[in-house]
Amino acid sequence: MTCIDDGNLRRHFDGELAGAQLAEVTAHLASCADCLARSEKLGTARAQTEELLATLVPAADNVVINSATAYAQFADQFAADRKPKNWINRLLAPRWRPAWGLAVVALMVASLVSLNPVRSWAQRVLAMLRVQKIQVVTIDPNTLMSSSEPDSRPYKLFNQFVADNVVVTMDPGKPDIVSNLASAAQLTGYPIRVIGSLGTPRSVEVNGETAFQMTINRDRVTTLLDEIGRTDIHIPESANGALIAVHIPKIAISMYGDCPVRHGDVTSNSQSRAEALAERKAERMADAKDTNCTYLIQAPSPTVSVPPDLNMSEIAEAALELVGMNPAEARSFCQTVDWFSTLVVPIPRNSSSYDTVTVDGVEGTLITETLPQGDRYSLLWIKNGVIHSLAGHGNASDALSLAASLR
Amino acid sequence: MTVRKSSSEHWEEAEFRAVFLEHYSRVLGILIRLLGDRSCAEEMANDAFWRLYRQPALQVDGNVGGWLYRTATNLGIDALRASGRRRQYEEAAGGARDQAKISSPLEVLLRAEKCNRVRAVLSLIKPAQAQLLILRSSGLSYKELADVLSVKMTSIGTLLNRAEEEFRNRYLALHANEEEL
Repeated sequence: MTCIDDGNLRRHFDGELAGAQLAEVTAHLASCADCLARSEKLGTARAQTEELLATLVPAADNVVINSATAYAQFADQFAADRKPKNWINRLLAPRWRPAWGLAVVALMVASLVSLNPVRSWAQRVLAMLRVQKIQVVTIDPNTLMSSSEPDSRPYKLFNQFVADNVVVTMDPGKPDIVSNLASAAQLTGYPIRVIGSLGTPRSVEVNGETAFQMTINRDRVTTLLDEIGRTDIHIPESANGALIAVHIPKIAISMYGDCPVRHGDVTSNSQSRAEALAERKAERMADAKDTNCTYLIQAPSPTVSVPPDLNMSEIAEAALELVGMNPAEARSFCQTVDWFSTLVVPIPRNSSSYDTVTVDGVEGTLITETLPQGDRYSLLWIKNGVIHSLAGHGNASDALSLAASLR
Repeated sequence: MTVRKSSSEHWEEAEFRAVFLEHYSRVLGILIRLLGDRSCAEEMANDAFWRLYRQPALQVDGNVGGWLYRTATNLGIDALRASGRRRQYEEAAGGARDQAKISSPLEVLLRAEKCNRVRAVLSLIKPAQAQLLILRSSGLSYKELADVLSVKMTSIGTLLNRAEEEFRNRYLALHANEEEL
């Protein structure tokens, strides 16, 4: 056998040779003084390096590592950036606000809650909320929670809080996008309406059922409010321990004209904050450009279940203060609302106005928003238990004439 | 090294937890060796796992452990090199700080000094060589090292020899007067 190279000598030293190879090297070393000398030299060098590197071995008090505890801490630390964040972002995205007023308020309520292990909550839930009418509130868009920039501290704290405390019992998953009404109706289980004057929609996005629940933990809510600098908001003591469950049925969004592809709906768990910001920016730019796009959203009423003795008015008051209403306004508004039947839609005060109109044979609410690129409307009404939202660029008469052609 | 079979789009919670529990203590141990500071090491270990969480495709087609040890040691060596540069500036400014307490027993002081020297040398040699040495001294087998470095297992012996030689030469060049190898 020829002499052994240093690599194989090293492998021999480290016990990484086996079988015939090991036998061959061992036999050679027994007969070759040169290789044996190199092997010993390598061994000495290895031992010296190992001795130096061994000084880095942690002291005894650094050796105890509890991986399970570490995982719990890791999950806590990064919870806000994981799956629930994207799910929550999706619901809080500006495009959803018209149709999801109640969900948004419910999520604001979610910010006021915390989770206990799921107990026999169904037994405790006696009151059911169903949307029968719509009421608009104006909020200051410049306050903490309304700006919803994903890198702002309150937003992050809020997300983390929701991720920690809201239990998603039914994840909507990715939306299905279909090009014909029959398929959409099959997915939703209810007929898809059409804006006659615009023909058939280019595509229909069907969002899956969503359900989440949370239990109010007053201490945790107070801590959150402290952290975001809103010690002025009062959480009623009676709310502590209340379990709130929200169920949102399948939603159909019919898109007419050149509607942009909404990347925001493609949930990505690997999204960094920078990516999220860029995505948000792209969405805003798309909003500015999609002047030829009209949405018709059909959303059967969400159901919110709460304990019968929960004072919804007080909770809603706190939630509305959080999203930018001043305390006096929030109080007087909340006293006028029947929280068991009203979809509350928060709209920015500076750029929006609203009016009551007749649409589809019922009373509706027309919200108009003045933007640099022109007016935008959102017409909301409830018919047969289904919330409708018609949204696009244009003025009040554009909205009403499109709604008149609905079939 | 574990190859997971699951979705390439996102980590299943249970899968990710299993990977975390399987590798965390070793990853942390390696980073403590490299950095000498447990809280820094924990932070960096979390960073490595967070990066892993953002690579769900590794569940399906990857060698998770190899990727994880490579990423963690890269992070640690980067930090070591950065602190090495900082230390040079501090020493140049006459502000060298001693990590060990003056009041500690002499052995503790000497050991701490030696640790600092070893880390300084690791920060000076090629990162891939430092990576190999720290992983080997943390107990990774040839097979595991081959997975981390994406090289053939039969090359590991040669690579180890070269890395050790480079390490010892650097160490001697810097510290021949302080001690004998």
